[in-house]
Amino acid sequence: MYRWLDNILNLAKKFFILIFTFFHSIGEIIDFFLNCIKFAFIDKFYFNIFLKQFVKIGFNSLPVVGLTSIFTGMVLALQSYTGFSRFSAESAIPNVVVLSITRELAPVLAGLMVAGRSGAAIAAEIGTMKVTEQIDALRTLSTNPFNYLIIPRILAGIISLPMLVFIGDIIGVLGGYLICVNLLNFNPTVYLQNTYNFVQFIDVFSGLVKASVFGFLITFMGCYHGFNAKGGAQGVGQSTTYSVVSSSILILLMNYIITSFFFKL
Amino acid sequence: MRKLKISVKNLFKSFQRKNVLKNLDLKIYESESLSIIGESGSGKSILTRCIIGLIDYDQGTIDFEEFKNIKKLDSKAKMQYMSNFGILFQNSALLDSLNVEENLRLANRRDDLSPILDEVGLPINILKKYPSELSVGMQKRVGLARAIIKKPKILILDEPTTGLDPIIARQINILIKNLVRRKKITTITVTHDMDSVYEFGDYVAFLKNGIINWYGEAKTINVAKNKNLKNFINGV
Repeated sequence: MYRWLDNILNLAKKFFILIFTFFHSIGEIIDFFLNCIKFAFIDKFYFNIFLKQFVKIGFNSLPVVGLTSIFTGMVLALQSYTGFSRFSAESAIPNVVVLSITRELAPVLAGLMVAGRSGAAIAAEIGTMKVTEQIDALRTLSTNPFNYLIIPRILAGIISLPMLVFIGDIIGVLGGYLICVNLLNFNPTVYLQNTYNFVQFIDVFSGLVKASVFGFLITFMGCYHGFNAKGGAQGVGQSTTYSVVSSSILILLMNYIITSFFFKL
Repeated sequence: MRKLKISVKNLFKSFQRKNVLKNLDLKIYESESLSIIGESGSGKSILTRCIIGLIDYDQGTIDFEEFKNIKKLDSKAKMQYMSNFGILFQNSALLDSLNVEENLRLANRRDDLSPILDEVGLPINILKKYPSELSVGMQKRVGLARAIIKKPKILILDEPTTGLDPIIARQINILIKNLVRRKKITTITVTHDMDSVYEFGDYVAFLKNGIINWYGEAKTINVAKNKNLKNFINGV
Protein backbone atom coordinates (compact mmCIF):
# COMPACT_ATOMS: atom_id res chain seq x y z
CA MET A 1 0.00 0.00 0.00
CA TYR A 2 2.70 2.45 1.11
CA ARG A 3 4.97 1.34 -1.70
CA TRP A 4 2.23 2.12 -4.20
CA LEU A 5 1.70 5.59 -2.67
CA ASP A 6 5.45 6.18 -2.65
CA ASN A 7 5.64 5.42 -6.39
CA ILE A 8 2.78 7.80 -7.14
CA LEU A 9 4.40 10.58 -5.08
CA ASN A 10 7.76 10.03 -6.77
CA LEU A 11 6.09 10.22 -10.16
CA ALA A 12 4.28 13.43 -9.17
CA LYS A 13 7.56 14.90 -7.89
CA LYS A 14 9.30 14.11 -11.19
CA PHE A 15 6.40 15.63 -13.10
CA PHE A 16 6.53 18.89 -11.11
CA ILE A 17 10.32 19.08 -11.45
CA LEU A 18 9.88 18.70 -15.21
CA ILE A 19 7.26 21.46 -15.29
CA PHE A 20 9.45 23.70 -13.12
CA THR A 21 12.51 23.08 -15.33
CA PHE A 22 10.49 23.86 -18.44
CA PHE A 23 9.22 27.20 -17.12
CA HIS A 24 12.66 27.98 -15.69
CA SER A 25 14.17 27.49 -19.17
CA ILE A 26 11.48 29.69 -20.73
CA GLY A 27 12.27 32.37 -18.15
CA GLU A 28 16.00 32.15 -18.90
CA ILE A 29 15.37 32.43 -22.66
CA ILE A 30 13.18 35.51 -22.13
CA ASP A 31 15.82 37.05 -19.85
CA PHE A 32 18.50 36.41 -22.50
CA PHE A 33 16.28 37.95 -25.18
CA LEU A 34 15.58 41.05 -23.07
CA ASN A 35 19.30 41.46 -22.41
CA CYS A 36 19.92 41.34 -26.18
CA ILE A 37 17.33 44.09 -26.72
CA LYS A 38 18.66 46.20 -23.84
CA PHE A 39 22.33 46.05 -24.82
CA ALA A 40 21.55 46.51 -28.52
CA PHE A 41 20.29 49.99 -27.71
CA ILE A 42 22.57 51.12 -24.89
CA ASP A 43 25.97 49.79 -25.88
CA LYS A 44 28.43 49.76 -28.77
CA PHE A 45 27.65 48.04 -32.10
CA TYR A 46 30.56 46.07 -33.61
CA PHE A 47 30.02 46.54 -37.33
CA ASN A 48 33.15 44.58 -38.36
CA ILE A 49 32.01 41.53 -36.45
CA PHE A 50 28.55 41.87 -37.97
CA LEU A 51 30.10 41.87 -41.46
CA LYS A 52 32.24 38.81 -40.67
CA GLN A 53 29.19 36.95 -39.37
CA PHE A 54 27.14 38.06 -42.36
CA VAL A 55 29.70 36.39 -44.63
CA LYS A 56 29.91 33.29 -42.40
CA ILE A 57 26.17 32.75 -41.98
CA GLY A 58 24.96 34.10 -45.31
CA PHE A 59 27.54 33.92 -48.05
CA ASN A 60 29.23 30.70 -46.88
CA SER A 61 25.85 28.93 -46.67
CA LEU A 62 25.09 29.75 -50.30
CA PRO A 63 26.43 26.47 -51.81
CA VAL A 64 24.42 24.32 -49.37
CA VAL A 65 21.23 26.33 -49.84
CA GLY A 66 21.75 26.49 -53.62
CA LEU A 67 22.19 22.72 -53.92
CA THR A 68 19.20 22.03 -51.69
CA SER A 69 17.02 24.42 -53.70
CA ILE A 70 17.99 23.15 -57.15
CA PHE A 71 17.40 19.50 -56.26
CA THR A 72 14.14 20.34 -54.53
CA GLY A 73 12.93 22.22 -57.62
CA MET A 74 13.93 19.29 -59.83
CA VAL A 75 12.23 16.67 -57.66
CA LEU A 76 9.13 18.84 -57.36
CA ALA A 77 8.85 19.14 -61.13
CA LEU A 78 9.25 15.38 -61.61
CA GLN A 79 6.76 14.47 -58.88
CA SER A 80 4.22 17.02 -60.09
CA TYR A 81 4.54 15.67 -63.62
CA THR A 82 3.82 12.07 -62.59
CA GLY A 83 0.70 13.23 -60.72
CA PHE A 84 -0.60 15.90 -63.07
CA SER A 85 -0.14 13.86 -66.25
CA ARG A 86 -2.82 11.47 -64.95
CA PHE A 87 -5.44 14.13 -65.55
CA SER A 88 -3.67 16.12 -68.29
CA ALA A 89 -2.81 19.09 -66.11
CA GLU A 90 0.92 19.28 -66.96
CA SER A 91 0.65 22.99 -67.68
CA ALA A 92 0.13 23.61 -63.94
CA ILE A 93 3.62 22.32 -63.08
CA PRO A 94 5.35 25.74 -63.27
CA ASN A 95 2.69 27.15 -60.95
CA VAL A 96 3.10 24.37 -58.40
CA VAL A 97 6.90 24.62 -58.51
CA VAL A 98 7.07 28.39 -58.01
CA LEU A 99 4.39 28.43 -55.32
CA SER A 100 5.88 25.56 -53.31
CA ILE A 101 9.40 26.88 -53.60
CA THR A 102 8.74 30.52 -52.71
CA ARG A 103 6.15 29.97 -49.99
CA GLU A 104 7.42 26.87 -48.22
CA LEU A 105 10.32 24.82 -49.45
CA ALA A 106 13.03 27.42 -49.95
CA PRO A 107 12.57 29.14 -46.56
CA VAL A 108 12.07 25.93 -44.55
CA LEU A 109 14.84 23.93 -46.19
CA ALA A 110 17.26 26.87 -46.13
CA GLY A 111 16.36 27.41 -42.47
CA LEU A 112 17.00 23.79 -41.57
CA MET A 113 20.26 23.73 -43.55
CA VAL A 114 21.53 26.93 -41.93
CA ALA A 115 20.43 25.65 -38.50
CA GLY A 116 22.58 22.56 -39.04
CA ARG A 117 25.47 24.49 -40.45
CA SER A 118 25.66 27.93 -38.85
CA GLY A 119 23.48 27.41 -35.75
CA ALA A 120 25.66 24.51 -34.65
CA ALA A 121 28.84 26.47 -35.42
CA ILE A 122 27.63 29.46 -33.38
CA ALA A 123 26.72 27.27 -30.39
CA ALA A 124 30.05 25.44 -30.57
CA GLU A 125 32.10 28.63 -30.91
CA ILE A 126 30.38 30.54 -28.12
CA GLY A 127 30.17 27.40 -25.95
CA THR A 128 33.92 26.87 -26.27
CA MET A 129 34.51 30.51 -25.44
CA LYS A 130 32.33 30.10 -22.36
CA VAL A 131 34.04 26.99 -20.99
CA THR A 132 37.54 28.36 -21.68
CA GLU A 133 36.76 31.62 -19.82
CA GLN A 134 37.08 33.74 -22.99
CA ILE A 135 33.69 35.33 -22.28
CA ASP A 136 34.79 36.18 -18.74
CA ALA A 137 37.97 37.65 -20.22
CA LEU A 138 35.87 39.83 -22.53
CA ARG A 139 33.85 41.15 -19.60
CA THR A 140 36.98 42.05 -17.66
CA LEU A 141 38.26 43.90 -20.74
CA SER A 142 35.23 46.23 -20.61
CA THR A 143 33.69 44.50 -23.62
CA ASN A 144 30.08 43.51 -23.27
CA PRO A 145 29.78 39.91 -24.58
CA PHE A 146 26.21 40.59 -25.71
CA ASN A 147 27.36 43.41 -27.96
CA TYR A 148 30.53 41.66 -29.09
CA LEU A 149 29.26 38.11 -29.64
CA ILE A 150 25.48 37.88 -29.62
CA ILE A 151 23.93 40.93 -31.28
CA PRO A 152 26.11 40.92 -34.46
CA ARG A 153 25.32 37.24 -35.01
CA ILE A 154 21.58 37.63 -34.50
CA LEU A 155 21.45 40.65 -36.79
CA ALA A 156 23.51 38.84 -39.44
CA GLY A 157 21.05 35.92 -39.29
CA ILE A 158 17.99 38.15 -39.58
CA ILE A 159 19.39 39.97 -42.63
CA SER A 160 21.26 37.21 -44.45
CA LEU A 161 18.60 34.48 -44.37
CA PRO A 162 16.05 36.38 -46.56
CA MET A 163 18.81 37.05 -49.09
CA LEU A 164 19.77 33.38 -49.09
CA VAL A 165 16.14 32.36 -49.50
CA PHE A 166 15.58 34.81 -52.35
CA ILE A 167 18.55 33.29 -54.19
CA GLY A 168 17.21 29.84 -53.23
CA ASP A 169 13.84 30.78 -54.77
CA ILE A 170 15.47 31.60 -58.10
CA ILE A 171 17.66 28.47 -58.07
CA GLY A 172 14.68 26.27 -57.09
CA VAL A 173 12.55 27.59 -59.93
CA LEU A 174 15.52 27.09 -62.24
CA GLY A 175 15.72 23.42 -61.09
CA GLY A 176 12.08 22.90 -62.06
CA TYR A 177 12.70 24.69 -65.38
CA LEU A 178 15.70 22.47 -66.21
CA ILE A 179 13.71 19.27 -65.66
CA CYS A 180 10.58 20.46 -67.47
CA VAL A 181 12.42 21.87 -70.50
CA ASN A 182 15.13 19.24 -70.91
CA LEU A 183 13.37 16.10 -69.73
CA LEU A 184 9.65 16.72 -70.11
CA ASN A 185 9.81 18.72 -73.36
CA PHE A 186 8.14 21.89 -72.07
CA ASN A 187 8.41 25.05 -74.13
CA PRO A 188 10.97 27.24 -72.25
CA THR A 189 9.17 30.52 -72.99
CA VAL A 190 5.79 29.15 -71.94
CA TYR A 191 7.27 27.72 -68.75
CA LEU A 192 8.83 31.04 -67.76
CA GLN A 193 5.74 32.98 -68.81
CA ASN A 194 3.52 30.71 -66.70
CA THR A 195 5.81 31.07 -63.70
CA TYR A 196 5.96 34.87 -64.04
CA ASN A 197 2.22 35.27 -64.52
CA PHE A 198 1.26 33.03 -61.65
CA VAL A 199 3.59 34.15 -58.87
CA GLN A 200 2.41 37.04 -56.68
CA PHE A 201 4.31 39.45 -54.50
CA ILE A 202 2.82 37.95 -51.33
CA ASP A 203 4.19 34.48 -52.22
CA VAL A 204 7.77 35.70 -52.29
CA PHE A 205 7.31 38.20 -49.47
CA SER A 206 5.84 35.66 -47.05
CA GLY A 207 8.82 33.38 -47.73
CA LEU A 208 11.25 36.21 -47.02
CA VAL A 209 9.47 37.11 -43.77
CA LYS A 210 9.69 33.47 -42.74
CA ALA A 211 13.38 33.46 -43.61
CA SER A 212 14.00 36.51 -41.45
CA VAL A 213 12.21 34.90 -38.49
CA PHE A 214 14.12 31.64 -39.04
CA GLY A 215 17.38 33.60 -39.19
CA PHE A 216 16.57 35.08 -35.81
CA LEU A 217 15.61 31.70 -34.32
CA ILE A 218 18.73 29.93 -35.58
CA THR A 219 21.22 32.54 -34.38
CA PHE A 220 19.36 33.26 -31.14
CA MET A 221 19.17 29.59 -30.13
CA GLY A 222 22.81 29.05 -31.16
CA CYS A 223 23.92 32.02 -29.05
CA TYR A 224 21.68 31.14 -26.10
CA HIS A 225 22.78 27.51 -25.86
CA GLY A 226 26.43 28.40 -26.45
CA PHE A 227 26.33 31.15 -23.84
CA ASN A 228 24.88 28.75 -21.28
CA ALA A 229 27.23 25.86 -22.02
CA LYS A 230 28.63 24.23 -18.88
CA GLY A 231 31.46 21.81 -18.24
CA GLY A 232 34.00 20.94 -20.89
CA ALA A 233 33.81 19.39 -24.33
CA GLN A 234 30.70 17.41 -23.36
CA GLY A 235 28.87 20.61 -22.41
CA VAL A 236 29.81 22.24 -25.70
CA GLY A 237 28.60 19.18 -27.65
CA GLN A 238 25.35 19.23 -25.72
CA SER A 239 24.81 22.94 -26.42
CA THR A 240 25.35 22.29 -30.15
CA THR A 241 22.77 19.50 -30.14
CA TYR A 242 20.25 21.59 -28.18
CA SER A 243 20.78 24.50 -30.54
CA VAL A 244 20.12 22.49 -33.71
CA VAL A 245 17.18 20.54 -32.28
CA SER A 246 15.44 23.56 -30.71
CA SER A 247 15.92 25.84 -33.71
CA SER A 248 14.70 23.10 -36.13
CA ILE A 249 11.55 22.51 -34.09
CA LEU A 250 10.93 26.25 -33.74
CA ILE A 251 11.41 26.71 -37.49
CA LEU A 252 8.68 24.16 -38.22
CA LEU A 253 6.38 25.64 -35.59
CA MET A 254 6.88 29.22 -36.75
CA ASN A 255 6.46 28.12 -40.35
CA TYR A 256 2.92 27.00 -39.53
CA ILE A 257 2.15 30.17 -37.54
CA ILE A 258 3.43 32.54 -40.25
CA THR A 259 1.70 30.60 -43.01
CA SER A 260 -1.63 30.76 -41.18
CA PHE A 261 -1.07 34.48 -40.58
CA PHE A 262 -0.36 35.29 -44.25
CA PHE A 263 -2.81 32.96 -45.93
CA LYS A 264 -5.90 32.96 -43.72
CA LEU A 265 -8.63 31.06 -45.46
CA MET B 1 51.51 51.90 7.17
CA ARG B 2 49.50 49.45 5.00
CA LYS B 3 46.74 51.01 2.95
CA LEU B 4 43.59 48.93 2.51
CA LYS B 5 42.65 48.26 -1.11
CA ILE B 6 39.99 45.55 -1.06
CA SER B 7 37.87 44.54 1.89
CA VAL B 8 35.91 41.29 1.90
CA LYS B 9 33.50 40.88 4.82
CA ASN B 10 31.33 37.94 5.88
CA LEU B 11 31.23 36.50 2.40
CA PHE B 12 28.92 33.58 1.67
CA LYS B 13 28.55 31.78 -1.62
CA SER B 14 26.82 28.50 -2.31
CA PHE B 15 26.07 26.43 -5.39
CA GLN B 16 23.07 24.10 -5.35
CA ARG B 17 22.93 24.04 -1.53
CA LYS B 18 26.69 23.43 -1.24
CA ASN B 19 28.39 26.21 0.71
CA VAL B 20 31.63 27.09 -1.04
CA LEU B 21 32.50 30.26 0.89
CA LYS B 22 31.38 30.50 4.52
CA ASN B 23 31.55 33.81 6.30
CA LEU B 24 34.89 34.66 4.75
CA ASP B 25 36.82 37.81 5.71
CA LEU B 26 39.86 39.06 3.85
CA LYS B 27 41.75 42.33 3.51
CA ILE B 28 44.03 43.11 0.60
CA TYR B 29 46.48 45.98 0.93
CA GLU B 30 47.96 48.31 -1.67
CA SER B 31 51.15 47.27 -3.50
CA GLU B 32 51.19 43.91 -1.76
CA SER B 33 51.15 40.53 -3.36
CA LEU B 34 48.68 38.13 -1.78
CA SER B 35 48.79 34.45 -2.62
CA ILE B 36 45.61 32.46 -2.07
CA ILE B 37 46.41 28.80 -1.68
CA GLY B 38 44.35 25.74 -0.84
CA GLU B 39 43.22 22.36 -2.04
CA SER B 40 41.09 21.95 -5.15
CA GLY B 41 37.49 22.84 -4.34
CA SER B 42 38.42 24.97 -1.33
CA GLY B 43 36.84 28.05 -2.95
CA LYS B 44 39.93 29.95 -4.17
CA SER B 45 38.71 30.58 -7.72
CA ILE B 46 35.17 31.36 -6.53
CA LEU B 47 36.59 33.94 -4.12
CA THR B 48 38.57 35.70 -6.85
CA ARG B 49 35.59 35.58 -9.22
CA CYS B 50 33.48 37.24 -6.52
CA ILE B 51 36.18 39.90 -6.04
CA ILE B 52 36.41 40.57 -9.78
CA GLY B 53 32.61 40.75 -10.02
CA LEU B 54 32.22 37.85 -12.44
CA ILE B 55 29.82 36.07 -10.07
CA ASP B 56 27.52 37.46 -7.40
CA TYR B 57 27.96 36.37 -3.80
CA ASP B 58 24.97 35.41 -1.64
CA GLN B 59 25.75 37.45 1.49
CA GLY B 60 28.42 39.79 2.77
CA THR B 61 30.19 42.73 1.14
CA ILE B 62 33.16 43.42 -1.07
CA ASP B 63 34.41 47.01 -1.11
CA PHE B 64 37.05 48.51 -3.37
CA GLU B 65 37.85 52.23 -3.24
CA GLU B 66 34.61 54.11 -4.05
CA PHE B 67 32.79 50.90 -5.02
CA LYS B 68 30.85 49.66 -1.99
CA ASN B 69 29.21 46.22 -1.95
CA ILE B 70 29.90 45.49 -5.60
CA LYS B 71 27.00 43.04 -5.86
CA LYS B 72 24.63 46.00 -5.87
CA LEU B 73 26.33 47.79 -8.79
CA ASP B 74 24.35 48.18 -12.04
CA SER B 75 25.80 46.75 -15.25
CA LYS B 76 27.56 49.99 -16.26
CA ALA B 77 29.12 50.56 -12.83
CA LYS B 78 30.11 46.88 -12.71
CA MET B 79 31.94 47.27 -16.01
CA GLN B 80 33.70 50.34 -14.65
CA TYR B 81 34.61 48.39 -11.52
CA MET B 82 35.97 45.48 -13.56
CA SER B 83 38.18 47.80 -15.59
CA ASN B 84 40.35 48.18 -12.46
CA PHE B 85 41.42 44.55 -12.72
CA GLY B 86 43.95 42.92 -15.01
CA ILE B 87 43.47 39.16 -15.05
CA LEU B 88 45.64 36.31 -16.22
CA PHE B 89 43.21 33.41 -16.54
CA GLN B 90 44.17 29.82 -15.87
CA ASN B 91 44.21 28.89 -19.57
CA SER B 92 45.13 32.42 -20.63
CA ALA B 93 41.64 32.82 -22.20
CA LEU B 94 42.96 34.51 -25.32
CA LEU B 95 40.24 34.90 -27.94
CA ASP B 96 40.88 32.15 -30.51
CA SER B 97 39.41 34.12 -33.38
CA LEU B 98 41.74 37.09 -32.86
CA ASN B 99 45.48 37.31 -33.36
CA VAL B 100 47.82 38.48 -30.59
CA GLU B 101 47.64 42.12 -31.66
CA GLU B 102 43.83 42.10 -31.71
CA ASN B 103 43.76 40.37 -28.32
CA LEU B 104 45.99 43.06 -26.84
CA ARG B 105 44.01 45.81 -28.55
CA LEU B 106 40.89 44.65 -26.69
CA ALA B 107 42.62 45.81 -23.53
CA ASN B 108 44.35 48.91 -24.85
CA ARG B 109 43.44 50.58 -28.14
CA ARG B 110 46.04 53.34 -28.26
CA ASP B 111 49.43 52.58 -26.75
CA ASP B 112 52.39 51.16 -28.64
CA LEU B 113 52.52 47.39 -28.11
CA SER B 114 56.27 46.83 -28.44
CA PRO B 115 57.23 47.94 -24.86
CA ILE B 116 54.70 45.56 -23.32
CA LEU B 117 55.89 42.67 -25.49
CA ASP B 118 59.42 43.50 -24.40
CA GLU B 119 58.34 43.44 -20.77
CA VAL B 120 56.91 39.94 -21.01
CA GLY B 121 59.76 38.68 -23.18
CA LEU B 122 57.97 38.21 -26.48
CA PRO B 123 59.26 39.14 -29.97
CA ILE B 124 57.38 41.75 -32.01
CA ASN B 125 56.71 39.28 -34.86
CA ILE B 126 54.30 37.40 -32.60
CA LEU B 127 51.63 40.07 -33.09
CA LYS B 128 50.12 38.52 -36.23
CA LYS B 129 50.03 34.99 -34.82
CA TYR B 130 46.88 33.34 -33.51
CA PRO B 131 46.71 31.75 -30.03
CA SER B 132 46.58 28.25 -31.56
CA GLU B 133 49.99 28.89 -33.13
CA LEU B 134 51.61 29.64 -29.76
CA SER B 135 53.01 27.36 -27.07
CA VAL B 136 51.25 27.32 -23.68
CA GLY B 137 54.10 29.34 -22.17
CA MET B 138 53.83 31.99 -24.87
CA GLN B 139 50.06 32.12 -24.42
CA LYS B 140 50.62 32.81 -20.71
CA ARG B 141 52.98 35.65 -21.59
CA VAL B 142 50.45 37.14 -24.02
CA GLY B 143 47.75 36.71 -21.34
CA LEU B 144 50.01 38.50 -18.86
CA ALA B 145 50.70 41.28 -21.38
CA ARG B 146 46.95 41.68 -21.92
CA ALA B 147 46.41 41.84 -18.15
CA ILE B 148 48.99 44.57 -17.50
CA ILE B 149 48.70 46.63 -20.70
CA LYS B 150 45.60 48.38 -19.38
CA LYS B 151 47.53 49.48 -16.29
CA PRO B 152 45.20 47.84 -13.77
CA LYS B 153 45.05 48.76 -10.10
CA ILE B 154 44.78 45.09 -9.17
CA LEU B 155 46.45 42.21 -10.98
CA ILE B 156 44.82 38.81 -10.57
CA LEU B 157 46.72 35.69 -11.54
CA ASP B 158 44.67 32.49 -11.65
CA GLU B 159 47.03 29.50 -11.51
CA PRO B 160 49.77 31.25 -13.54
CA THR B 161 51.97 28.15 -13.83
CA THR B 162 49.34 25.44 -14.41
CA GLY B 163 50.09 23.27 -17.42
CA LEU B 164 53.67 24.47 -17.76
CA ASP B 165 56.83 22.39 -17.46
CA PRO B 166 59.06 23.26 -14.47
CA ILE B 167 61.50 25.33 -16.55
CA ILE B 168 58.83 27.50 -18.19
CA ALA B 169 56.93 27.70 -14.87
CA ARG B 170 60.07 29.09 -13.22
CA GLN B 171 60.52 31.61 -16.06
CA ILE B 172 56.90 32.76 -15.67
CA ASN B 173 57.30 33.04 -11.87
CA ILE B 174 60.43 35.18 -12.27
CA LEU B 175 58.73 37.29 -14.93
CA ILE B 176 55.72 37.91 -12.66
CA LYS B 177 58.01 38.65 -9.69
CA ASN B 178 59.92 41.28 -11.67
CA LEU B 179 56.72 42.87 -12.98
CA VAL B 180 55.07 42.95 -9.57
CA ARG B 181 58.16 44.37 -7.86
CA ARG B 182 58.84 46.94 -10.58
CA LYS B 183 55.27 48.18 -10.99
CA LYS B 184 54.40 47.87 -7.28
CA ILE B 185 51.03 46.61 -8.36
CA THR B 186 48.57 45.02 -5.91
CA THR B 187 48.46 41.35 -6.88
CA ILE B 188 46.21 38.44 -5.98
CA THR B 189 47.50 35.05 -7.05
CA VAL B 190 45.48 31.87 -6.86
CA THR B 191 47.86 28.96 -6.97
CA HIS B 192 48.75 25.41 -6.01
CA ASP B 193 52.35 26.05 -6.88
CA MET B 194 54.39 26.81 -3.75
CA ASP B 195 57.26 28.09 -5.93
CA SER B 196 54.96 30.94 -7.04
CA VAL B 197 54.23 31.72 -3.38
CA TYR B 198 57.91 31.78 -2.42
CA GLU B 199 58.85 33.76 -5.54
CA PHE B 200 56.49 36.71 -5.38
CA GLY B 201 54.02 36.36 -2.49
CA ASP B 202 54.19 38.94 0.33
CA TYR B 203 51.24 37.49 2.22
CA VAL B 204 49.48 34.16 2.03
CA ALA B 205 45.85 33.25 2.70
CA PHE B 206 45.26 29.52 3.09
CA LEU B 207 41.70 28.49 2.29
CA LYS B 208 40.15 25.38 3.75
CA ASN B 209 36.47 24.48 3.41
CA GLY B 210 35.44 27.97 2.36
CA ILE B 211 37.15 29.95 5.13
CA ILE B 212 40.60 31.48 5.63
CA ASN B 213 42.28 28.86 7.75
CA TRP B 214 45.62 30.65 7.97
CA TYR B 215 46.84 34.11 7.01
CA GLY B 216 50.34 35.47 7.39
CA GLU B 217 53.51 36.64 5.75
CA ALA B 218 54.87 34.41 3.03
CA LYS B 219 58.28 34.20 4.69
CA THR B 220 56.72 32.67 7.81
CA ILE B 221 54.75 30.01 5.99
CA ASN B 222 57.27 27.25 6.62
CA VAL B 223 57.34 27.86 10.36
CA ALA B 224 53.57 28.17 10.70
CA LYS B 225 52.03 25.82 13.25
CA ASN B 226 48.74 25.31 11.40
CA LYS B 227 48.42 21.57 10.81
CA ASN B 228 46.23 21.88 7.69
CA LEU B 229 48.70 24.30 6.12
CA LYS B 230 51.62 22.03 6.95
CA ASN B 231 49.84 19.08 5.37
CA PHE B 232 49.06 21.13 2.27
CA ILE B 233 52.68 22.32 1.86
CA ASN B 234 54.06 18.82 2.42
CA GLY B 235 51.43 17.29 0.14
CA VAL B 236 50.12 14.97 2.84
